[in-house]
Amino acid sequence: MSSVRVAVDVGGTFTDIFLMNDDDGTINVHKVPSTPSDPGLAIIDGLRSSGVPFSEIKHFSHGTTVGTNALITREFPRAALITTKGFRDVLEIRDSTKTELWDAYWDMPAPYIKRRDRFELDERVDAKGQVVTPLDRQELIEIARILRKREITTIAVCLINSYLNSVHEHEVRDVLRAELPQAIVTISADVLPEMFEFPRTATTVANAVLAPVVGTYMGQLTTRLRDGGYDGNVLVLHSGGGVMTAEAASHHSARLAASGLAGGAVAMRHLSQLCGVKHALGLDIGGTSSDISIMYDGDLRVTQDWSVEPGYPIRFPAIELVTVGAGGGSLAWIDEGGTLRSGPESAKAVPGPACYSRGGSKPTTTDANLILGRLGQVLIGGQMKLDASASATAIREHLCSALGMDLHETAAAVLRLANVKIADAIRVLSIQKGYDPREFGLVAFGGAGPLHACEVAQELAIPKIIIPPHPGITSAMGCALVDVRHDATRTLIAKADESGFRELLGLSHQARTQVAALLDSEGIDPGNRRYDYFATMRYVGQWRSLNVRLNENDTLEQVLAAFHAEHRREFAYAHEERPVEFFGLRVTGTGLLNKPVLPQLPVGTGEPTALGTRQVFFEGYGFVDTPVYDRHLFKAGQAFAGPAIVEQFDSTVVIVPGSRTVVEAHGNLIVDLGV
Amino acid sequence: MTVARFVHQTAYADHLEKAKIDPVTFEVLRNAFVNLVDQMSEQLLKTCYSFVIYSRDFSNCLCDAEGNTVAQGTQDIASHVGTLHWTAKAVIEAFAGDINPGDVFMINDPYLGATHFPDVRIIRPVFVDGTMIGMLQSNGHWADVGGRVPGSFDVTARDFFSEGLRIPPLKICDRGNFRDDVARLIVSNMRLPDERLGDLHAQMEATRVGETRLLELVEKYGVATVVTAFEECQAYVARVMSERLRRIQDCTYETVDYIDMDPTLEEGMIPIKVKMTIQNGRIHYDLRGSHGYINCFLNSAVGVTFSAIAAGTKTFFPDVPLNSGFYRIIDMDLPEGSVVFAPEPAATAGSVSGAFEKIMNAIFELWSRVLPERALACSFNLEYLLVGGRDGRGDPSERQGFMWYDWLAGGWGGRCTKDGANTTAPVFGVGLALQSCEVQERLAPITVTKLEMKTDSAGPGKYRGGVGLEKGAILGACSGTVMSYCCDRSRSVTWGIEGGLPSIPHGVWLNPETEDRRFLGGVFAGEPLSSGDHFTRPAAGGGGYGDPLDRDVNDVLEDVIDEYVSIERAAKDYGVVVHCIDKDVCDFSVDLEATSALRAAQRQSRKDKFSLPPSVVRQLFLDGAIDELDLVRHYGVILDFTQGDTPVLAHTTEQFRQSLRQRSLSHWS
Repeated sequence: MSSVRVAVDVGGTFTDIFLMNDDDGTINVHKVPSTPSDPGLAIIDGLRSSGVPFSEIKHFSHGTTVGTNALITREFPRAALITTKGFRDVLEIRDSTKTELWDAYWDMPAPYIKRRDRFELDERVDAKGQVVTPLDRQELIEIARILRKREITTIAVCLINSYLNSVHEHEVRDVLRAELPQAIVTISADVLPEMFEFPRTATTVANAVLAPVVGTYMGQLTTRLRDGGYDGNVLVLHSGGGVMTAEAASHHSARLAASGLAGGAVAMRHLSQLCGVKHALGLDIGGTSSDISIMYDGDLRVTQDWSVEPGYPIRFPAIELVTVGAGGGSLAWIDEGGTLRSGPESAKAVPGPACYSRGGSKPTTTDANLILGRLGQVLIGGQMKLDASASATAIREHLCSALGMDLHETAAAVLRLANVKIADAIRVLSIQKGYDPREFGLVAFGGAGPLHACEVAQELAIPKIIIPPHPGITSAMGCALVDVRHDATRTLIAKADESGFRELLGLSHQARTQVAALLDSEGIDPGNRRYDYFATMRYVGQWRSLNVRLNENDTLEQVLAAFHAEHRREFAYAHEERPVEFFGLRVTGTGLLNKPVLPQLPVGTGEPTALGTRQVFFEGYGFVDTPVYDRHLFKAGQAFAGPAIVEQFDSTVVIVPGSRTVVEAHGNLIVDLGV
Repeated sequence: MTVARFVHQTAYADHLEKAKIDPVTFEVLRNAFVNLVDQMSEQLLKTCYSFVIYSRDFSNCLCDAEGNTVAQGTQDIASHVGTLHWTAKAVIEAFAGDINPGDVFMINDPYLGATHFPDVRIIRPVFVDGTMIGMLQSNGHWADVGGRVPGSFDVTARDFFSEGLRIPPLKICDRGNFRDDVARLIVSNMRLPDERLGDLHAQMEATRVGETRLLELVEKYGVATVVTAFEECQAYVARVMSERLRRIQDCTYETVDYIDMDPTLEEGMIPIKVKMTIQNGRIHYDLRGSHGYINCFLNSAVGVTFSAIAAGTKTFFPDVPLNSGFYRIIDMDLPEGSVVFAPEPAATAGSVSGAFEKIMNAIFELWSRVLPERALACSFNLEYLLVGGRDGRGDPSERQGFMWYDWLAGGWGGRCTKDGANTTAPVFGVGLALQSCEVQERLAPITVTKLEMKTDSAGPGKYRGGVGLEKGAILGACSGTVMSYCCDRSRSVTWGIEGGLPSIPHGVWLNPETEDRRFLGGVFAGEPLSSGDHFTRPAAGGGGYGDPLDRDVNDVLEDVIDEYVSIERAAKDYGVVVHCIDKDVCDFSVDLEATSALRAAQRQSRKDKFSLPPSVVRQLFLDGAIDELDLVRHYGVILDFTQGDTPVLAHTTEQFRQSLRQRSLSHWS
């Protein structure tokens, strides 16, 4: 009986399944259509069709959009929010900003809980954490009575200044548990004991409303896998880039809100390290958008500043990703000023690009790639034929005459715009974070990533590209490469002197205890745990803060030195004489899982043999007779010069002239652009 | 009054060599320019010291060699729109022949087209082979620029001398040498000089980031191509705008909006007139007939006036990029010496609460007639409250001064297909975020008693305005504390259109739930406060769109369930009779029969109420027969609540009723 690892990425259109046999290292990948009304179904069906008996599965982890979708569609049970008197509307008022600056007819999304279901409670804690108005229990019991009558069993509680003293939130929870035994009560002190009432409320509410959704989903999936004979943990990826068990997921449900996105970043990190790259950018290009992630010095960037919908932050630490509306399906169009534009509208899966022959008649980036010979007319799996004449018609009819350019010039222009758009997004992100892209490698994946990677890298003067072995299922593979991970955060505002430092250490001990309890509940052996500590620090008077890693036994001086150094790196200057303050902290507890060892390719030498050649367009060269390779035949250590096309089951790689590509031991293609 | 006509010239940098540019390179560069400015914004956000800048009160841009704007940031604040080219041009004019590589300039002069003193602009010319090809500008609102009061908003200012430091065009960097002496002179005249220096450096660095990227583009595409693209970007926007304008039939519309008062004159609102003519693919705005400049800081100088015009217009073309090409299709006539073209030394620091808001909303109203599908009633007025004194908390030896600087979000105007947006940042800039109450309670000796949506604050309409807010606070341990407030529209109440009704008056109430309650008005300064004082103020809802008696009864019902509208006002303002069956389970019902009877009765009688003598109406109010909202919405009478005996403001009432007749009554069947 063999021992199989399963990692699944449940996307909007496809559910990708990555299977790896731990005994012989063989990898199998499957793509099945997703089943949005019951997402677990596609997982089970996909696994069945793979032929692996459930009893041979030793490890199951997955990423899912179940939380994301529930928030966007508002498909969760009616919920209530209890707040301090005078603060009933914190959730709806938000920070009052709009992301569409100029469109007075565009509105921010509605809050997750309507005003009618938001209740006020007479109680107050002041800014020092002192109770100034005791909680009115009678009023609380009255609220409980109304909730019972409304049959609401999902309740979020977020009281003013509870990050300093949560005694009232706990009291509310205890009373409600007694009054409403069926209810799931989520208090902000458990979810996110941090300053700033709005993001804390928004996070608490997101967590509360997702709890029943995630709980039900994970319960059903666990039952189905158990019924099939799997007896291990059902792990799910969270936005922080770790996994957790079904039990933990039902308490920290909002951590699943970006579950579907984190897998790609995790895989990017792993593959970069296999290839010996220190800093890397991940570029995951799909049908409608591209997701960009960053690894610096081996660490993925983590942020607390993200949301599923604009305006409603979820302050759980999450892997930082930037999404730009440029993908294979992005429509090319002529605007009323007569200028060629690309996206952000997309042809989506239906009707899709013109060449898919599914009813789409407008030109997309994919059509341009086909016309330019970058995509083959028959994808190597043979499952899908692309109609180049449909692409040509679409481009001619919608673009050529307006631009006064021929078919190929126009297609090249569409491609160039798409590439520039992605490069520009990376540029803003790099400035934001203070990185120079030239020091990075670019890891390109998703179905369309390898089609665009070279030109995007050239635009940014990035010297090196990595194309993973299975670009189309890289996110699923990422789900197999993670550890159990939990984060706990705290607010403290204190001068960075000895007394502030003691306070910081005290709170980090507290946060560590919280994280350790979670690892306990997941049965992680104490020998397999790691704790990481980060302090949030800033110059007194400044508005942005930085995360600084704390090492065990660091002195205050060492911490300050690390802060100044990080400040210099990110902002290009440091004021060592200026007073510094602590602003918060985060403790990450990692339960190390044994990770799959990715198989290595047989070793080969020299150049691989091309299947043939085809005419492929490259910017600055025009059409070039280009060798076409079958990636499945590559051996480790082989190398070849660009231009080249590499075809495989789930992707096509376009390699520019003037570059050199090496097949890495695990099958990654490392393209050296020679800049 | 003489009139100044501003017609934008198509002044390209003719001395620079141009290249033919293909459409794709053009689009690539057009995106690259905006992207470059966004990179400047990110740099500024990262390093600024002023929390006002951090709250997104800033803008950056790329200008061509003539000072025309080529690209602005995608998240820049509305109130800076249309002013960055003025200041670039002012620098070019002041330093003609003496602009050199390595120079960096500074300016904040409103009389030369800047907004107000706190908006300090840093301008860096970019040279290629000794020739200036363009400029990068970073404009940020510094938390203080000196003057009589902390924060540099002197509500009592009669002239600019008490509003802070006026900075004419000057070199802060001379051929690469930072002029420390000049910088010290400037920041020494401001509070927290180190932080101001921090802002100065942050903005200089932002322009440097832009310069680096621009030079990369020159390297890649060639200088002639880049310079040509500067022009093409503007021509593109001008072309798109003229084409859209040509699709609109030539027309002229006019309206008037009001600032509440000139505190030194007799009561009576201060008219701002706007006449808009669309002809031959151009828009002409004529502000003749607007009042002379007033003796308080709500005047606008030319920059802010044009900014309101440009931003107001842009709201109806949200997808058109912003640069001088947009400004080029706009002409304006401004009367010299007026409230919208304030001469030196008239005070202007509060222009964004005063003239800016009035012009922008007037333009919303005019465009609502031209493009009814994008119609927008009046939105709440930008407001900010300042409470400062000595913090009395904690160890006496460590007590310091405190400054609580607070602003609110409110309701936007009702729209032709839906209600106005609830509790949204001001039209001044929708990126301006509310601050956290928990943070405020830490930093200042205040306890926030409420920050909530205000029931009945939305202007009634077929589509009501967005719901406004109310925020209250109690002062804790402190000494020597005073409060100032900058707003407007406590008399010129946020209005509806197409039959919609006004929302609620702005203004601060002191100790509202006591015998000594006092209304302090919409603009005041230096009101002394002591520990235990309670103060509260609303941010108005938006004005309504369309006749409120035509509102769908189910929409009224939903509003009652969510307590956006009270049962009482559902009847008074909408003629909808709602019964509460069981509030516990949100069970309310509309009495359809009673509703149609009530609506019919209101249709009969409502217009006459606006002709009742104001003194009679005042008596009804004093007798408790009608309330404050009835005064405004159903009688059009404005009383002076700052006076204990609430006298009628006769002239103001007359103006307000005239406004209601046009905007509301004339649309009722």
